[in-house]
Amino acid sequence: MSPAGCPHVGGWKADGWRQNLRLIYRCFVWSGSAETRTRKAKSCVCHACGAHLSRLHSCLSCVFFACFAKKHIHEHARSKRHHLAVDLLYGGIYCFLCQDYVYDKEMEQIAKEEQKKAWKMQGVGEKFSSWEPSKREVELLRHNPKRRRITTNCTIGLRGLINLGNTCFMNCIVQALTHTPLLRDFFLSDRHKCEMASSSCLVCEMSQLFQEFYSGRRSPHVPFRLLHLVWTHARHLAGYEQQDAHEFLIAALDVLHRHCRDDDGKRTSNPNHCTCIIDQIFTGGLQSDVTCQVCHGVSTTIDPFWDISLDLPGSSTPFWPLSPGGEVSVLNGEGHGGGATTLTDCLRRFTRPEHLGSSAKIKCSGCHSYQESTKQLTMKKLPVVACFHLKRFEHSAKLRRKISTYVSFPLELDMTPFMASSKEKRMNGQHQQSADAFCSDNRYSLFAVVNHQGTLESGHYTTFIRQHKDQWFKCDDAVITKASLKEVLDSEGYLLFYHKQLLEYE
Amino acid sequence: MDHTVSKIMSKDYQMKAAINQKLIEMGERERLKELLRAKLVESGWKDQLKAHCKDVIREKGLEHVTVEDLVTEVTPKGRALVPDSVKKELLQRIRAFLAQHAAL
Repeated sequence: MSPAGCPHVGGWKADGWRQNLRLIYRCFVWSGSAETRTRKAKSCVCHACGAHLSRLHSCLSCVFFACFAKKHIHEHARSKRHHLAVDLLYGGIYCFLCQDYVYDKEMEQIAKEEQKKAWKMQGVGEKFSSWEPSKREVELLRHNPKRRRITTNCTIGLRGLINLGNTCFMNCIVQALTHTPLLRDFFLSDRHKCEMASSSCLVCEMSQLFQEFYSGRRSPHVPFRLLHLVWTHARHLAGYEQQDAHEFLIAALDVLHRHCRDDDGKRTSNPNHCTCIIDQIFTGGLQSDVTCQVCHGVSTTIDPFWDISLDLPGSSTPFWPLSPGGEVSVLNGEGHGGGATTLTDCLRRFTRPEHLGSSAKIKCSGCHSYQESTKQLTMKKLPVVACFHLKRFEHSAKLRRKISTYVSFPLELDMTPFMASSKEKRMNGQHQQSADAFCSDNRYSLFAVVNHQGTLESGHYTTFIRQHKDQWFKCDDAVITKASLKEVLDSEGYLLFYHKQLLEYE
Repeated sequence: MDHTVSKIMSKDYQMKAAINQKLIEMGERERLKELLRAKLVESGWKDQLKAHCKDVIREKGLEHVTVEDLVTEVTPKGRALVPDSVKKELLQRIRAFLAQHAAL
């Protein structure tokens, strides 16, 4: 079973063989258009016995269909000396001399192309096809024979980070990022092609970081190069004081996003439609609807976001009361007993219609004058990784303090109630059935939690990360310890990282 | 073979062929295939069969096994392992399709 096909395929490849093969695939194997489907339906029967369901094959040298099961095609091959046939069900090429299916690279390529074309025509779109290594990749694999086995107990990917002087704000984010599955896959499959002349590309450094984390080395890593690059590209974070982990996250994503964009000249010309890995994973769309109270005209804007900052009860801005709709909390498996605030409560508050007072009138394009209005935020597009930032640090004019109110957050989160599309349904009077919500693709799973212990003046950041689906570990600078799910869910929570459960092709 | 039996068989056969043709023409056959594929993966059938295939290959030896060997060895088990619920669902879909295109 060699990939070069059998020796008999060569003899068959006469002039124009590619066109003929395409025609056969298009008409009789993967019929995309209605016309070819009708032809296939009518003509694909065994020329010997009229059967249509016994593994029909088509001769590759003449127009002859026959069944495989009853050996009619074998007879044809023998009598006419036409040695090759194609399976009309799966497209495999059979060689009667080798007495087996054969795999010729060129013919396989044509088969795949025609299959994709048919799927497209049928509206099926892109389908999953497993990874096949390129020539270069096969070479690399051969030169590097060492392999790692990922078992449920292995701790690969876990590595401590040395604190270089109040750098736990950076360490905790690095732990969350190195355990973001899609980001990890991107860097470990070497997808970053750097075109920056200098050695100050943060994306390259991230790539290096992933190599360190997944190297299997267990000693803590010293991220001095990363720290230096952060100081270079995000001056406001330089210095040895404790910084805010959330600020670091946004700054890091921003620098990575900029450095990714520098790779491809085409991309920089369209800043609103970036296809870098950071945007693909972290960028969502936040819809803001401003409704004029007089003419009820709605003005809509959509802004990109990397995280959602949520106000907490106990801050100087009032938290309660929320808009009606108490069933949402139950949907996400959170109890509402004892008045404990849940993440869902915070999200409901975030997406509630807010009346902008008489001191904040908006110019209405319908009324052509300044009117009072309500503003409402909803999610237009959800990112693959949703980061929720609980605003625990209050920096108002009067006071600077930390809000330690306990907010319970779930392991699984359904974002459907907060989507712009759900709001539209509600407004159109379509009641959101609970069954509907579970079928939607807006379900997210918690995979990292960044916590802050201490006060505003002196505090310490740690991260819980998820490994192998149901194992949790606590990352406290250089020390990694096993943690229970209860510990994670009972923790205060400052930054919550959720990953979409179902990924779709564009 | 008895004349009446063969008559019934061929009529049955004609009907099958006609249904099959209609399914292909309307593109329903492809959709049913996709549905079946998804259900068989979901129910773990694909994994079970894959394991069985590996066993057969190991038995016969990687260099000597042919696709025919696999088909012969694996088909009966494959047919037997299809969950009843999947069969039911496919049948329902086909019935619904026939009800819609009653001009057969």
